[in-house]
Amino acid sequence: MTSLRRALWALAVAGVGLGLAVVALMATSDSLDIPGVSAAGTLLAGWGFIGAGLFAWGRRPDNGLGMLMAATGFAWLVAAAGFSDLPLVFTLAQVLGSVFFAVVLHLLLAFPSGRLQSLAERRLVAVAYLLTTVCNVPLWLFADPKDLGCDDCPRNVILIDSKESLVSTASAVLNTVGAVLVLCVLVVMVRRWRRVSPAQRPFLVPVYTAGVAVLLLLVVLVAAQAGGVESNALDVLWVAAMVPFALVPYLFLYTLVRTRMIQSGAVGELMARLGETPQRGELRDALARALGDPSVELVYWLPEDQRFVDARGHIVGLPPPSSGRAVTKVERDGECVAAIVYDAILHDEQPGYVDAVGAAASLALENERLDAELRSKVEELRASRERMLSIGLEERRRLERDLHDGAQQRLVSMALNMRLARARLRDDPAGAERLLDGAGEELEAALGELRELARGIHPAVLSDRGLDTALETLARRAPVPVELQQLPAERLPEAVELAAYYVVAEALTNVAKYASATHATVDVQRLNGRLLVRVADDGVGGADPDLGTGLRGLADRLAVIEGRLEVDSKPGKGTTITAKIPCA
Amino acid sequence: MFGPGVGIRIGETASSDDNLRQVATSVLIVDDHPSFRASARMLLECEGFDVIGEAEDGLSALDAVSRLHPDVVLLDVQLPDINGFEVAERLTANGSSPAIVLTSSRDVEDLGLLAGRDGVRGFIPKSELSGSAIEALLG
Repeated sequence: MTSLRRALWALAVAGVGLGLAVVALMATSDSLDIPGVSAAGTLLAGWGFIGAGLFAWGRRPDNGLGMLMAATGFAWLVAAAGFSDLPLVFTLAQVLGSVFFAVVLHLLLAFPSGRLQSLAERRLVAVAYLLTTVCNVPLWLFADPKDLGCDDCPRNVILIDSKESLVSTASAVLNTVGAVLVLCVLVVMVRRWRRVSPAQRPFLVPVYTAGVAVLLLLVVLVAAQAGGVESNALDVLWVAAMVPFALVPYLFLYTLVRTRMIQSGAVGELMARLGETPQRGELRDALARALGDPSVELVYWLPEDQRFVDARGHIVGLPPPSSGRAVTKVERDGECVAAIVYDAILHDEQPGYVDAVGAAASLALENERLDAELRSKVEELRASRERMLSIGLEERRRLERDLHDGAQQRLVSMALNMRLARARLRDDPAGAERLLDGAGEELEAALGELRELARGIHPAVLSDRGLDTALETLARRAPVPVELQQLPAERLPEAVELAAYYVVAEALTNVAKYASATHATVDVQRLNGRLLVRVADDGVGGADPDLGTGLRGLADRLAVIEGRLEVDSKPGKGTTITAKIPCA
Repeated sequence: MFGPGVGIRIGETASSDDNLRQVATSVLIVDDHPSFRASARMLLECEGFDVIGEAEDGLSALDAVSRLHPDVVLLDVQLPDINGFEVAERLTANGSSPAIVLTSSRDVEDLGLLAGRDGVRGFIPKSELSGSAIEALLG
């Protein structure tokens, strides 16, 4: 038996003992008209709260709700001991009994998560505890029950001096503040009730309804007391308020049993429905129905890309823990296939149930995962095709700009200089010679630029001499020293050679531009029907393929021939770019 | 199609420029390529034009025209900020514009230059620029 279990059993025994003691005190009380009925009612509520609370505590130790319910039960029994004829017990119960109201407000506000959800709620509860302890206890030093109209009550053992008017006034103030507090809690609960989602409804509505009824009746009671309503009517109101109060723990247990029954039926129905091969979208609806949560979303795991996508194949992120949404991953043969995203209250209340539903649906989820994977690939292809198109257009624009600003301008300048030279040929031969020399230089430069442009359009050395020579040329031209390791000596399909060439060219351009590297290596080898192209540098790292258009363009170019690009670039650890190109 | 030194006259907008050649015609060269500006300056000065300024983009061209009041603006079509057509449009908007001669290393057909519409006197391909070509356009 764990220490928690032992503690819970000890509390249960204490609860039973306290209950029996209170019953004995009430049964012999002079101040009760029908002591037997009152004692039975008190026990029903007190043990109900303690029992349900300890059960909930054992079931969900991390959720404070069980502890609060048990505390409510104990506080209730202590308050009921106020009917005792024994002066010491009477006094202690009167002094401590009011705490019961604060615990009830705390419980109702913390339901069902066991936590207070906002600063305003924490303040309300703090004020409630303050009123029932610091403000209430000192009053009993001056309160003589006989002076306050209770002739049957025993004596107050801590009475110093009876000050009837002071105690009456202070009690009226405390009651008024207490009533306002109860109204505030009522407003919070009604607001929360209106926001309850369908998934939360079965867990919240019964207890909320009873709680709201208790609070409403308490407000009426305080108002009636202040309005001087006669004591018989007040007793009726008090009993009326206690009925929904006593029902709270039983409604709570009923909710647990009912949802468990509904859920076991729902899993069975889900299994039957899944057996009928659901159409696309029907699986989500079936899971939403089984979980009683229309907001259920399904996302599918793509192991290759290490990310989740929705049913349409679009990439999605999982909601953060504080979003009010919970995530349960569904595995099949030890591999994650999907995740169910749902209202967090289901997770708080029934953590195992969503797992059970997920397990029941795992085969259907695996099928939908394959479907989503296919859609994701189609989507990726569509996006990649769009990017390729826009890269193509951008390249053509750049080409036109480079031609216009470079070689074309040089040729224009050359034409003008030659015309000038001709005009000066007779009168200023030396000047004409200088102009012709200038024209010759412009021509050389224009030719160089045209060669560079032509190489950018298609590397002729690749077609003429093969990948190894083309890569050697690239390495020679790179501003950073490049070590060529293995290179394939044989000719490969043209598309493969071209892709490998552009991987190395782009990688070496990046090394020169961004890496601050002192050295780079290029390694190209055929392995298991693939060409592995690896370019590594010893630079600063930190390259992100999702940010740079160069790397993304490269990945797109490779995707066309079913190739893949991997970038390993941790900050400070250099960058390694690996392309895997199918090459039978 | 166009012989050396012969500009393409667009529309018939020339009117009161008959006295232009009595004194040296002043020219503003607008082009973003320094090598072209240098060659054009040398060429036009050699043929008796007075090159009174150069501008490397559209906005500085507008500024230079308002300061220098040239007789002719030799205006490249493709400029880094606003293009030559827009410069011409803004210059002609106030009615007191100088004679605008567009130039480009592109072919005239690639420019979408329409007769009489863009407020310019004519077009001379860059490689065919000469003083006589400008004079031919000025009439």
